[in-house]
Amino acid sequence: MPDVVIGHDVVITRGAHVAISASEFTIPQGKITAIIGPNGSGKSTLLHAIAGLLPVSSGKLTVLDNTPLISQSQISYVLQYTTVPTGTPLTVAETVAMARYPRLGLFGRLTKGDKEVVTSAMDRLKITDLAKRHLTELSGGQRQRVYVAQGIAQDHAILLLDEPLTGLDLNSAKTIDALIHEEPARGCSVVLTTHDLEEARAADHVILTAGRVMAFGKPEEVLTNENLINAYGLGSLHDHQGADLMLPTEHHLDDHAH
Amino acid sequence: MEWFLDPFALGFQQRALTGGILAGLMTAVVGTWLVLRGMSFFGDAFVHGIVPGIAAAVVLDINPLLGAAVAALVMVFAIELVNRQTALSEDTSIGLLFVGMLALGVIIISRVNSYSGSLTTILFGDALGVSAQDLFTQGILAIIVISVTTLFYRPLLALSFNADKAQLWGLNPGRAHAALLVLIAAAVIGSFQSVGTLLVFGLLVGPPATAALVSRTVPRMMVTAAAISVFSVWIGLTLSYHLNTAGSATMAIVPVILFFIVLTVTRLRAIQSEKVNSHA
Repeated sequence: MPDVVIGHDVVITRGAHVAISASEFTIPQGKITAIIGPNGSGKSTLLHAIAGLLPVSSGKLTVLDNTPLISQSQISYVLQYTTVPTGTPLTVAETVAMARYPRLGLFGRLTKGDKEVVTSAMDRLKITDLAKRHLTELSGGQRQRVYVAQGIAQDHAILLLDEPLTGLDLNSAKTIDALIHEEPARGCSVVLTTHDLEEARAADHVILTAGRVMAFGKPEEVLTNENLINAYGLGSLHDHQGADLMLPTEHHLDDHAH
Repeated sequence: MEWFLDPFALGFQQRALTGGILAGLMTAVVGTWLVLRGMSFFGDAFVHGIVPGIAAAVVLDINPLLGAAVAALVMVFAIELVNRQTALSEDTSIGLLFVGMLALGVIIISRVNSYSGSLTTILFGDALGVSAQDLFTQGILAIIVISVTTLFYRPLLALSFNADKAQLWGLNPGRAHAALLVLIAAAVIGSFQSVGTLLVFGLLVGPPATAALVSRTVPRMMVTAAAISVFSVWIGLTLSYHLNTAGSATMAIVPVILFFIVLTVTRLRAIQSEKVNSHA
């Protein structure tokens, strides 16, 4: 399988801050790739760069054999539900249908095919019964399902998801997780960020970040105790040699930082 | 019936009504995007930011629309400059320009002999002094505002939803934001002669905020805001005539009062609905 994303010596900055320093990585086609790392380690920055929303400062980032900007139309990006304002008076169906804008342009009307894509996306995320509800009338989990439905309703070769399961109720998490694992069979490459070690282990490919890409490859090769301890900066806090390391909670990390 | 018709019996009163309605339509459409994007403070600053341009036009005896347009450009570029050159939050740069431009306007106008009269006219408008030429200009600007809003509906909606998503959908959020700034400028410049720079903000925010309480889609919000604006202008001028109050101010206060009435009614209905559901 060819790679859909290739990073060579990639450096990404946010203002004066270097978010990702010189990094090499690949993302395989038709697979699920999980990007894992501590808070502020550059996970979302990497997604933004792949989506063409942030330029790389140096090095070369190739997405679908082109620059991220050129490939942008083939990328669908699901943001964290907490980052999208709910004040805009939109129903669930309208929100999902916005994903067809790239095909419709400024004035095009939804075709029968577009409506079928929107209906199918809502069915897959189990939000059809919410179609006429307003975004402010939904729980966080329901809203995230709407945004994922919007993501898959857009034509795409790569689906990016920023912490799609964080803070969700069990039903929403299971529905979205099932969809993520269905997407490769539809020819789509999935890239998601996560804090959950189990979620990362369930992926086909893992990228471990900590201000740079520390390792990438199969989960069992990347999620080793040594790599995780290095990435999370826990050093000699605990002796996990041979043990199955549990990712530290944010509370633990804060304690460690202090 | 005469109570409603008397205030508009004369030509200048009819022009005041027409000018107010055109201002109300423009500000309702543009104000909807301002409210949805959380840019109300920018709108407030913007309407004050054009004061020095109008003041300079009064002093130099040139068209106030030209002065307002130049001041609007200066305001937008200065805010953008501060944003790009410093790490200060955007509301700080807007606040700085808000105070700076308003103060400059008052300083310029204070050089005029009829200082207080000119300043009052700029800030509070002269609804009853609207001429046929003013109405013609307003009409052109209203057509521009409604046409550009229609053309940019999807980019503006996507921008209100999320700028990153708008970018990924190929809807150029930067261009949509620039279009919105032009729309705000056109609506404010086209309205200040009827309702004044201070009170045009009331029409920019009041009707869309009220409409947001009862609308489930953006087009309905715009139409509702436009209806509230037209009603506010009409009832404002009617009340102003009978109560002998300032026309522009009375027009501007109506949508604010309407907002609190609608808020109270919607909250009471929500509480009633919750009670019914809890008993079911």
